[in-house]
This record gives sequence, structure tokens and C-alpha cells, in this order.
Amino acid sequence: MFFIISQVLPHSPSLSGRNHHAILEAAGPSHVAINAISANMDSFARGRTAILKKQPSHMEAAHFGDLGRSSVNYQVQETRSRLSKTVDQILRDNVAMPYFIQFMETHIAEHLVRFWLEAESFRSTTWSRVRAHSLNSVKHSTLAEPAASLESPDSPDSPNDPSRPLTLDQGDEEDTFSSQTSSRPHTPSPQDTNSHTGALIGHRNSPSSRTGTPVKGQSTSGLSDKLMKSIERDAVNIFTKYISPDAARPIPITEQIRNDIVAKICGEDGQVDPNCFVIAQSVVFSIIEEQHFSEFLRSHYFCKYQIEVLTSGSVFLADILFCESALFYFSEYMEKEDAMNVLQFWLAAENFQDQLAAKKGQYDGQEAQNDAMILYDKYFSLQATNPLGFGDSVRMEIESNICREGGPLPDCFNTPLRQAWTTMEKVYMPGFLSSNLYYKYLSDLINSVRVDEFTGGNANTTPEQGTKKAAVKILKNFDEAITVDIASLDPESLYQRPYAGRMTFGKVNELGQFIREAEPEPDVKKSKGSMFSQAMKKWVQGNSDEAQEEMAWKIAKMIVNDVMQQGHQGSPEVKATKVHLFLSLHS
Amino acid sequence: MQLLFLIETLFIFNGSLKEYSTRSVCVCFRAAMATAPYNYSYIFKYIIIGDMGVGKSCLLHQFTEKKFMADCPHTIGVEFGTRIMEVSGQKIKLQIWDTAGQERFRAVTRSYYRGAAGALMVYDITRRSTYNHLSSWLTDARNLTNPSTVIILIGNKADLEAQRDVTYEEAKQFAEENGLLFLEASAKTGENVEDAFLEAAKKIYQNIQDGSLDLNAAESGVQHKPSAPQGGRLTSEPQPQREGCGC
Repeated sequence: MFFIISQVLPHSPSLSGRNHHAILEAAGPSHVAINAISANMDSFARGRTAILKKQPSHMEAAHFGDLGRSSVNYQVQETRSRLSKTVDQILRDNVAMPYFIQFMETHIAEHLVRFWLEAESFRSTTWSRVRAHSLNSVKHSTLAEPAASLESPDSPDSPNDPSRPLTLDQGDEEDTFSSQTSSRPHTPSPQDTNSHTGALIGHRNSPSSRTGTPVKGQSTSGLSDKLMKSIERDAVNIFTKYISPDAARPIPITEQIRNDIVAKICGEDGQVDPNCFVIAQSVVFSIIEEQHFSEFLRSHYFCKYQIEVLTSGSVFLADILFCESALFYFSEYMEKEDAMNVLQFWLAAENFQDQLAAKKGQYDGQEAQNDAMILYDKYFSLQATNPLGFGDSVRMEIESNICREGGPLPDCFNTPLRQAWTTMEKVYMPGFLSSNLYYKYLSDLINSVRVDEFTGGNANTTPEQGTKKAAVKILKNFDEAITVDIASLDPESLYQRPYAGRMTFGKVNELGQFIREAEPEPDVKKSKGSMFSQAMKKWVQGNSDEAQEEMAWKIAKMIVNDVMQQGHQGSPEVKATKVHLFLSLHS
Repeated sequence: MQLLFLIETLFIFNGSLKEYSTRSVCVCFRAAMATAPYNYSYIFKYIIIGDMGVGKSCLLHQFTEKKFMADCPHTIGVEFGTRIMEVSGQKIKLQIWDTAGQERFRAVTRSYYRGAAGALMVYDITRRSTYNHLSSWLTDARNLTNPSTVIILIGNKADLEAQRDVTYEEAKQFAEENGLLFLEASAKTGENVEDAFLEAAKKIYQNIQDGSLDLNAAESGVQHKPSAPQGGRLTSEPQPQREGCGC
């Protein structure tokens, strides 16, 4: 406190704002700031900040500034893993969508997905265009002529269009609209809808048949007419592609729904209902969900998507904790690190809060309190069986949350959950992501992709492509390395240069890896030492970039050798070194 | 060159540094495998499901700690425990997820079913209602796990013979009708507890060997060490017999 005052005194002539800045500039939880603030608050708060100072460093101190009072709601964004998807999430995810469509193609059902996507985009763009238009029309009605004169050239055009469908009532082929009408004859009530449609078109377009006069009201209806026609065109496109019985790949909906869609496209007020496909969409959605989705989750396409996420360079803790297969590996890792308790606590408290929140307030407070007390006795109390090292401030907060009148709320354990989350994220996850368990997980995923692609493919070309496709993200130079022509008996001959003598910069080994022979910096002392100590160092350091790259090359070698073994099933002229490498991997 | 590569493989594909530093470095990979206490070839994920109070947590505790918890509180959400056992000469680690039986936790525990290699479905032989609810647990298990998941039915509290409410025969018949393994066990005395986990493990291992469990399927519930380097793709011939190492 004296310290801060002595700092402040020289500046005392300046505004008190300066003092405030001085305190803020001391930034983080520095001694200066803590002392200053605790001096200014009552003793209770001072006690709290004192506890904050003493908090063990591996548990994140409560956010400085709120003194651990507020329960920070971290849950909202982070309850989803990018690796576990529901149907709805996949349909809205651009990264996962191509894999899903590929999968559906193998099931000859991709038209369902495409229909859903097109209908969804139609719906949202139509709504936004309609809204934009109504905003514009408000704008235009107060604007001067320029807007009107722009629109008037269009209005002479529009009388031409309505005339066409009217004359093509009897099923001409020209207009896309008429192709809809021409399909009508097969349905129960063709003539009615036909004439209905025709009459409506005439009715709808009649306001714009008045040509040329640049009246403001005219301009808005001209714009609206153009907009409506294009919306109508879009709707009709989707209809002809998927819904009309003549479509190449009609989606399986009932006649009633189809008629309903027609009615909505040719609406009473002449407007296409942007929600016209919603019912069909939900039918398709449930078909996808029930018949195809669980198989997709077991397919190698989903594995490929997961590989893409995992090798994208940014894997979040949420991706691991909310995906069962990743959690399987992560729990194994945490057990090896003797940190199972943190994970167990997080799982238990998270589950407890989830099931309380799902009740939406209608739960037995006593029961909830008993559950919470079990967690308290296990992890928080002074005689806890599995103490986690939470500070006193957290413990007191939990006590008051549990003993709350009416029972604990669904955010009862938020603070320790957040601390456990942060601990796992900062302390354990980096180690996990560079551990061999994680590489095992990745290579399992890759292998499952490979095997599935092999079962469909044949002989020599597919293995190469399969390997290329599967490993494209994880190994940067893989593509170049694997373009070795396996069919040739001695690939090394491509790289041998018997006349090169000693004047080579390096050579390429049988895997296409460039081994440098020239010394780029002869003056620099090589600290590498023997390969043995190198390996030890690598193991001890663990997560350096070279170790990762080496690991990746190991996986590459494994895959290449496996591929080559497949290709060379019958031929005995396999190189001896390769056999040894392969056997050593087998052992 | 080959030797050093083997060493690197040894370092990289095995356990943690802690285990390493206590082990003398041996060039022969196989010998190193045999001496390491924590070296296992597979990890199987199990789940334990069943009504509340049938003794799931006690079974797990008896299996992992070899002790009976007389008054254990009910499970909140999930917990997990592990233990290594030997099946057909292979060391296998079991990662066992014990779920809460209370109805209110049913929704959250469902998310842990996926990716289980084995499931223990437990009922209490002294309470008929827990046996009657088995069909609902079985439905969940079948819907949410792989088709190849091994399910074993356990009738717990076999030591309370005097209060028996479900006969061995009818439970056995139920199990046979549904293609489940079946055992009666007692978490209190330890009777058949090890066997329960072991039988399921044997069945899973057999499935791996004869190909009906696809190790490469996503969420097979099995982690395998690279003694099968093609990612565990099934080799038709048995594991190559290694000659004795000369170290």
C-alpha cells in the first residue's frame, strides 16, 4: 500500500484518473494491484484476495477482477465436439458435407441431401430477398424518379411473360413453368390446377401489364414482379428436379405433400411461399436420420472427416471430451498421467449439471442436493476421498451453492468445472496431442479409411490412390514421396546416380526421403551426437516439431511398406531391407 | 540401422517415460515387452449398465480394488476404472465405464454407450423388478452400441440366496434367447466377479481373432498396440513366432 502511494504521490497534481490508470496498468495479478485493491475494500474481500494469492498455480486463479464471485458460464459454446455430429449439424457444416455426400452416393441416396440443401438455401435466400425487397420498397417510395426510370424498361417485358404461360395452358414444352403443367396430366386433378395456375399467373402479372408510365408505385410492383418471377423460377427448378413425378430422382414424398407444395408455389396472392418445401424437407430429414445416418457415422467417410478435423492444426478440448472415441484415448492418457481424478470429476459434475438443466426447473431439490453432496464428499470436503486441490474460496462457494434453499441450481459446480476444464486444456491436452496415444488414434482412423477403400478397389492402382487420399493431410510431402511406381521392380534405380561421385548434395532413399549429404553450415557444431542419444533425447523432449515429423514419417513408412507388401504378394524379389523393416514393425 | 530403428520403435510405441526409465534398454523388442508390467496389447472399453442399486459400482470396485464397498454412494453420471488382465496369453487392459442407474441420469449416460467393446448388464437376483427392466436396458444397449459388442448378463448378489427372487434357469434362458453370456456373481464375496469380466474379454478377443470384430471400424471399443502394424487388420496367419532373443 505504501508502495502504491509512493508511486502515486509524484503524480498527485494530476487527475485521479491517472491513479486509476496506474493501478490498471499494473495489469495482471501483480502485488501492487492486489495490495491496492485490497486496501480499498472491506476485510472480507481482502480475505478473498489473500486466498487468491495462495491458490496453487496449476489451478487457474479465478478471473482477476471478479474475485471469484460470478460463475462464469463457459458451457454454452463448448458443449459440442466437432468430431461427433448430429444430422442437423452435418447438414449445416461445410467441412463435413462433402464426405456425407460421398457416403450417400454409395447408397444411391445423395439426391435426398441435395434436395434438402437446395430447399434450405431457397428458403433462406427467398426470405432475405423478400425482406430486402420490402425494405427497398419503403426506400423507393420516398425516392425520386431515378429508381422509377430504372424499373420502367422492365415493365414492358413483363406483359410478354404472363402471356406465354396463359397460351401454353394446354401443355407446351417451352417454359420451365409449363413443364410443371405438362406433368400435370398424370396426376388426379390436372385440369383444375392447370387452369388454376394459368388464371393465377394472369392475375398476378396483370398489374405490370400497364406499360411504361414511370410512376413510383409502378416501379415497386415492377421490381416485385421481377423478384417474384425469379423466386418462382427457383422454386420450380427445385420442384422439377426432385418433386415432380417425372423428375430423374424424385424424393419419396406422398401425393398430398406434393399437392401441398404446388399450392404453396402457386399461392393465392401470387407469391411463392418461401416455406413451401419445409414439410418435404422434414420428411427427407427423418429418412436420412433413420436409414442412413448411423451407418455414415460408422463409415470411413466419417473417419476421413474426423481426420481432417484432427489434422487441421487446431484441436480443441471440446472436440476430445464430447466425442466418445477420442475420449476413450484421452482417458487412457489421463490415467497414465495420474490425472484421472480431474477427468472423473469433470465428467461427473458435467453430467450432474446436464441432467438438472434438462429438467428445466422441475426437479426434486432434495434429491439434487444429495447428488451434489456425494460429489462434494468425494472431491471438495476436507476429508475428501479424492481431493483435487481446489482452493478454499471454491469450496466455500460450492458449499453455499449446495446448501441453497430449494436445492442446488444447474450451475452449481460451474467454477470448479471451469477450473478443471482449464487444467485439462492447458496442462494435459498439449501433452496428449503430441503423445503416441494420439498418433495411435489418428493412425487407427487412417487405417480404417484405408481398409475400407481397399475392399472396394482392385490390384495396384487403388492402393496408391487410397494411401494418397487417406494420408493427404497428415504428411505434407507424402504425395511426392508416394508417386514411386510400385509396378517397377527396382524403384531405387530411379534415384541411383552411379556417376555422381562425391559431388552430390544428397540422395533420395527408397521412401523418397531426401537425405542430405552436403553440409550447409560446416562451421556449426553438430550437437546431435549418436543416433542412440538422439532417440533418447527425442523421447525425453517428446513434443518437438522434429519428433512429430519423425513420427509422421514412421507412420508413412508403415503405410508404404504395407502397401508394397500388398503389391508384392506374389513376387519374391522383394528387397531384403524392406522385408526386414516390415518384420521389425511386425514384432 | 535396423537395430536403432527398433529401439526408436520401442521408445515411441510404448507407455510413458516413467515406465521406461525403470527398464533396462534391450535391443530385443520382444524381451522388453515381456518384462514390462504395464505393457498390454489391447485396451477394451466396457460399460456397466442396469437399474440403480443392483451393485454395478460394487462390481467394478471389487474387480479393480478387490474390496467390497459396504456403503458406497450412488454413482453420479459415470465413473471409470481400469485393470489389466490376461486373455489367451495376451495382456489386455479393460477400461470400464460404470454408469448411474437412476432414471434421471439415463439421458446423459446414453452417450457413453457408443464405442463399447463389451457391456455388462447387471440385475439383482433378490429384486424381481431389476430383472424385469432388463429388456429396456438391452434395447438401449443394442441400439447404441456396435452390432459386434459383447453383452454379458450378470445376476448380482448371489450370496443372498435366502432372498432370491429370480431363478438361475429363467435368467439363463433369457440370456440364451437374446444371445448374451450369463453369470451369477457376488460383489460382496467376489464370486465370479473376475470371471464376469474375463468371459466377456475372451469373447471379444475371439471375435477379433476370427474377424467378426472389425478393429478398424470406428468406435470398435478396442485400442490395439502395433503388434499388428496394419492397424490391426486381421492377418489370416497367427502372430509370427519370434525366435528367442539373444539379449
